[in-house]
Amino acid sequence: MAMSRRLLLGSAALLAAPRTLRAQSRKLDILSHRVHQAVLTQGAAGDLTEAWRRARNAEIGWTTFDIGPLQDRLLREASLPQTDYGVGYLLNSRATAQTANLLEPLEDHLRSEPIEALDDIAPGLRAAMVVGGRTIGIPVRHATNGLFCNMALLEERGITAPPTSFEEFLDQCRRVAGRRSDGPPLAGLVMTAALAAYPVIFARAFGGDFITEDYRLLPDHEAMVKAISAIRGLFESGGLPRSYANITNEDQATWLMQGRAAFAILPFARHAQLNRPDQSRFAGRIQAVEFPVSSTAPAGTRMATTVEFWSMSIPRNARDKGLAWSFIQAMSSKSVTLGAARNGNGPVRVSTYADPGFAAENAVAAIEAAALSRARIPFPAFPEANRAEAIFVEEVQSAVLGRKTPAQAVEDTASRVRSLLPA
Amino acid sequence: MKESLATRLALLAPAQGMVLAVLLVPALYLVWLSFQTSSFGLAPRFVGWENYARILADGYFWRALGNTALIVLVVVHVELLLGLGMALLFASGLPMQRLLLACVLAPYAVSEVAAVVMWRYLFDPEVGHVTYALQALGLPTLDWAVSPAHGLTMVALLSVWLHLPFTFIILYAARLAVPMELYEAARIDGASPWQVFRRVTLPLLVPALLIAALFRLIFAFRLFSEVWLLTSGGPARSTEVVAVYLYLEAFRYNSFGAAAATGWLMVLGSLLLAAPYLWRLGKAQKADA
Repeated sequence: MAMSRRLLLGSAALLAAPRTLRAQSRKLDILSHRVHQAVLTQGAAGDLTEAWRRARNAEIGWTTFDIGPLQDRLLREASLPQTDYGVGYLLNSRATAQTANLLEPLEDHLRSEPIEALDDIAPGLRAAMVVGGRTIGIPVRHATNGLFCNMALLEERGITAPPTSFEEFLDQCRRVAGRRSDGPPLAGLVMTAALAAYPVIFARAFGGDFITEDYRLLPDHEAMVKAISAIRGLFESGGLPRSYANITNEDQATWLMQGRAAFAILPFARHAQLNRPDQSRFAGRIQAVEFPVSSTAPAGTRMATTVEFWSMSIPRNARDKGLAWSFIQAMSSKSVTLGAARNGNGPVRVSTYADPGFAAENAVAAIEAAALSRARIPFPAFPEANRAEAIFVEEVQSAVLGRKTPAQAVEDTASRVRSLLPA
Repeated sequence: MKESLATRLALLAPAQGMVLAVLLVPALYLVWLSFQTSSFGLAPRFVGWENYARILADGYFWRALGNTALIVLVVVHVELLLGLGMALLFASGLPMQRLLLACVLAPYAVSEVAAVVMWRYLFDPEVGHVTYALQALGLPTLDWAVSPAHGLTMVALLSVWLHLPFTFIILYAARLAVPMELYEAARIDGASPWQVFRRVTLPLLVPALLIAALFRLIFAFRLFSEVWLLTSGGPARSTEVVAVYLYLEAFRYNSFGAAAATGWLMVLGSLLLAAPYLWRLGKAQKADA
């Protein structure tokens, strides 16, 4: 067939048509972590954004980063005269007054297009997103830490049940540590040394803390000394791996699934992933329990594990704030929260845990709900929070590796962090 | 045909404009920023020399600078020695020379990130292949996750492995450029191999050695990915280098004024470190003129 000018122009018009149609749809650019995208688009509940995309005739452009670079990019975009990004995920520890200057106050949106049953979202999480009287984010995901145990490895050492006290936990860590019969060395507990949340969990097992929500620094020195001493004891006895100081956050899940460690402290939402046969060598054998309290803790102490959470926010300079809010409104609904939870998200709505279907599907739902009801953030947000965390982490590492005593590390933390706290 | 001055300037302008845009303007911006306190959500505020004073009073900066200087000096001089030895070996003729040359140059083709991840696993204190091999041979292992000295040694070894091909190729090319007649004359005069090296090879390789040292000193002073991906400056900030210190100020603590000031102190530090080589290079050029 000869190619005439009419045929050529006609073909070009046909090829361009879908593009033209697409151009009429709106696009919402989102800055998030890969996991935020995954829980809204993949898993047992499928793609939860589809209904919103159809209703709004909109496309979504996901740009994903690791935690630090994600927060950096979000604030960098929000500092520009204008940004294409309509929605950015904000970590609780970054909700400071300075950050609030860069984000859209959501009160007007909440009034004109309210979020379904807003009160159903955990009050503590919502309160942390109110900075200077303005709501700057809607919580959508929490990561509440629990203690994960590889029961197959524990049973190899004659341990039949997860620990019920902190002392029993330490004992089990020491008992399982060593070389397995098939060769590879086994650590009791794998734990990253890079985050403050972990020593904070240990401190809370003794009734202590790092920085309380009302900015009290190390409210119980003795509890923190005991916590750091316990970590040091584990390191010295082989309960923690020799590479403790270089373990990354992601290493923890890998070590547990590969059978290189018997215990790890991870968000409950990881339970399904850790037991997936295509990813884990111990599928179905990894259990989660609440982190146990020490028998020496003050009477009545109940474990307040650490919880971190993510909120959806709108940069103040976003090009299309209306579209961004409609997305936040849709993704915060009860049904989407439940669907995202089925896809592996930590649900922020109390009603999700009450859903019988979710409870039946999720083996750790009840334990997670109980832990969440008492959980607290590792430390509150303030402008120098990252520097304070780095100092605390450094002091804990120094003590664990034997360069100073736990008591000295606690004293040094107190003296170095005090000046960084808000007046 | 002779162009006018205006035509010449117009032809040069695009290149000069690009240099101005990508080098001079950002550098001037950093000078300005280093005198401000600046973070996300805050308007910059002039603070004079405060950022510099705070950094120079910070013990962690001096530790990072000391670590950087130590690693840079060790790495660059080990690379020069090894590179020189290998260049002489290759110039003297080796069996399967092309294959060996490819092997020597291979690390330069590996991305830094991939190389660090590879070394991290090879030297893993629990399950690393090199760790197993050293243990099997009854040799001490590198406890790089615990000991700062071992951590810095690991960084230096990795850096040498990654960048040796650069030094080697410069010195090898320079060695091949030395006229054979000079070696023949030395042999006729009865010079020993050591005398040939001392009186013929080395003096003629000095300019190439200085160039290699200068480039590597400047590049090595920016050392970042090896340390960041291997130890992240830990444990307890003991293996931190200046580029990691700058990264933390800028991207973890969002203290942009302090980070800019650290950047300028890095420039100053690398200039001071390279100064003896620059002076020697200038002297050699004057002598040649």
